[in-house]
Amino acid sequence: MSTPTILLIVFAISLIGAVMAYRRASTLAAAQATQLHSRPVYHASYVACWATIPSLLLLAAWLITAPILISTDIRAKIPEETLAQSELTEGLAYGIVESLGSGLRVLPADERETVTDQTPVKDLSALLRKRGVPVASAGADWMVPLAVELNALQVISRWVMTIAVIVLAGFGAGWGYKKIAPRLRARNSVEGVVRGALIAASSIAILTTIGIVFSMLFETVDFFSRISPAEFFFGTVWEPRFSAAGSTGSAGSFGFIPLLAGTLYIGAVAMLIAVPIGLFAAIYMAEYAKNRSRSVVKPLLEVLAGIPTIVYGFFALVTVGPFLRDLSTEINGLVTGNYSSFIQAQSVLTAGLVMAIMLIPFVSSLSDDIITSVPRSLRDGSLGLGATRSETIKKVVLPAALPGIVSALLLTASRAIGETMIVVLAAGVAANLTLDPFQPMTTITVKIVAQLTGDLEFDSPQTLVAFALGMTLFVITLCLNIYALYIVRKYKEQYE
Amino acid sequence: MENMQATFNKGRAVQAAIPIKMTSRDVTVHYGQKQALNGITLDIPERQVTALIGPSGCGKSTYLRCLNRMNDTIDSAKVGGEIRLDGEDVYDSAIDVVELRARVGMVFQKPNPFPKSIYDNVAYGPKIHGLARNKDELDEIVHISLRKAGLYKEVHDRLDEPGTGLSGGQQQRLCIARAIAVSPEVILMDEPCSALDPIATATVEELIDELRENFTIVIVTHSMQQAARVSQLTAMFHLGDLAEVGPTEKMFSNPDDKRTQDYITGRFG
Ligand SMILES: Nc1ncnc2c1ncn2[C@@H]1O[C@H](COP(=O)(O)OP(=O)(O)OP(=O)(O)O)[C@@H](O)[C@H]1O
Ligand SMILES: [Mg+2]
Repeated sequence: MSTPTILLIVFAISLIGAVMAYRRASTLAAAQATQLHSRPVYHASYVACWATIPSLLLLAAWLITAPILISTDIRAKIPEETLAQSELTEGLAYGIVESLGSGLRVLPADERETVTDQTPVKDLSALLRKRGVPVASAGADWMVPLAVELNALQVISRWVMTIAVIVLAGFGAGWGYKKIAPRLRARNSVEGVVRGALIAASSIAILTTIGIVFSMLFETVDFFSRISPAEFFFGTVWEPRFSAAGSTGSAGSFGFIPLLAGTLYIGAVAMLIAVPIGLFAAIYMAEYAKNRSRSVVKPLLEVLAGIPTIVYGFFALVTVGPFLRDLSTEINGLVTGNYSSFIQAQSVLTAGLVMAIMLIPFVSSLSDDIITSVPRSLRDGSLGLGATRSETIKKVVLPAALPGIVSALLLTASRAIGETMIVVLAAGVAANLTLDPFQPMTTITVKIVAQLTGDLEFDSPQTLVAFALGMTLFVITLCLNIYALYIVRKYKEQYE
Repeated sequence: MENMQATFNKGRAVQAAIPIKMTSRDVTVHYGQKQALNGITLDIPERQVTALIGPSGCGKSTYLRCLNRMNDTIDSAKVGGEIRLDGEDVYDSAIDVVELRARVGMVFQKPNPFPKSIYDNVAYGPKIHGLARNKDELDEIVHISLRKAGLYKEVHDRLDEPGTGLSGGQQQRLCIARAIAVSPEVILMDEPCSALDPIATATVEELIDELRENFTIVIVTHSMQQAARVSQLTAMFHLGDLAEVGPTEKMFSNPDDKRTQDYITGRFG
């Protein structure tokens, strides 16, 4: 039986159990005229939990372990001498056996019966191809018996699993049903299950994050075994392709400094523009705007926050960049008489400006929520002392909202640092190291994309450097967020 | 109508001998479509404690907030009628709201100290209004205000600790100190003791009695005993109307209005 069908049956069992439990608890309450500890609904959930949780755990465990056990069993049976004569590795050979084996399951029953241990692989492959199952051409006759055995094992395993899971579900439902009694603390047990589910959900989030870090870590270590960390972290020239042409890496080609500088520079320009504007917009919305204008402006800003960044990128490429270039031409012409532009179409300024436009709704929407959550009583207290609106905001509301605002801003900064699309289109891909905001620069994320989309081999430093960059970016944003937490804690203690 | 006229006259007649600090004539308040006050006429005597009593929702807070225009901060509120402070119309466009609120201070029902140090809480108003020319003067204002509020002894050695770290009763006295520090002429208190235990309440009541020497006080309270203990004049509100007003002693011993009688003997409200 397929896994969805098994799930459906398990749920049906738990539903039946729940309904029966509900009935029984209700009659118990009526018959004995005693107060039930928990309402019938909880007894129903209790039985449903007993029916589903153990059986689903068994199902999950089986689905994970059975393929592993079967594969070790079959691999052990692959004849070593035969394998040594062919050009296949053990992994590849097993892959072919597996695809033959699982192909057998697709065949209709009468065709499957014609396949025996003696069937030559040619015939089997032909049969499978007819049914639309692709088979590798490197198959050999000795694989057929193994494939047949594999298929048999899989079929048995599935049957046993189906029966075991369904029986366990029924048994669990019965067990839970038997325990129903007026004093059964079903409510507390259900509460425990809810708690467990929540813990599981949050640990999945944490575990996957750790998994991501480790997957990057191995590649990063690999990279640093080829290129020294000092070269990477302190090098000021970024030209990975160049070193690929000259076979062994020439020193300084993987310099990380230009990328870091570009990232921080563009991010800083964007934050410098976005933070004051966004914050002032938030203050206006939270403190001054009448309800009616607020109900129009706020959703509008939130819609802006949802625009994909590539659209902002277009805006930079087509409108802002050329506009700044032409503007600089005019200014230069008026001042010096020399009509040449000093702002390039792709520049730090363009990227910063457009990124700021993207960040403003983000900043203002987050800060607005935080500012409005400052209790009204604090505002009243200040206004009641004869403070003006802006004094109240400056001296009471903003200090009270500060921890929240700081963490909102650091969140925004993480976004600015991680932004890629706008940078590609607005600041270009050239890894320059300059202080001039009118020149193109580029960022870490842009280079990660560039390194991973090339035609390079997957174990060359040119590709691996992407992981080192990613890891560094991860550490930078992590530090930023930890610092945000630290600030929030510090102010919270002071204010509460 | 006749009844209203009678109340109208009562509102003015009682305290002919004592100078009047604030007057209100036919004050109405609408929250959107809903009318919360139906024409209140009441005189508030100088350097006396006026208690506002009445069942919940009858408009006591609303009336109190009219006196220093705190209703301006509520978008839907519309105030009609006339309120005068020392003869000046407080809703006149020539009046600066900020200045008015410095003259008519307010203490709220729930203690609401700012998330700042005790010192900064009290110094907040004087700093804003530029009442002190230097640090020494500011120190003095803060110390005097804390003393007047009866809080100095308890907090003098920890003035730089956060005001939110005090107990409820201390916080409320801090809020009173904060209001006193701007030297207002009138102090409005909206159920200042509702969050306090009997001991803290007694302290605040004593304090109110002392403050009467320098300030005109209007206090909203749900406690009949408190009104009887601290006030000289009592005004009874009922469903947005002023039911009766008179000297506190008379109000509690032999009220004219049936509603007042029922309310203070606990038959409704
Ligand atoms: N912000 C507001 N918006 C709409 N209606 C309000 C608002 N504030 C008060 N009201 C209404 O005005 C009426 C009077 O309210 P008010 O707060 O003045 O009563 P109160 O006498 O102070 O009551 P309590 O003793 O419970 O504090 C009530 O019916 C209330 O629902
Ligand atoms: Mg009230």
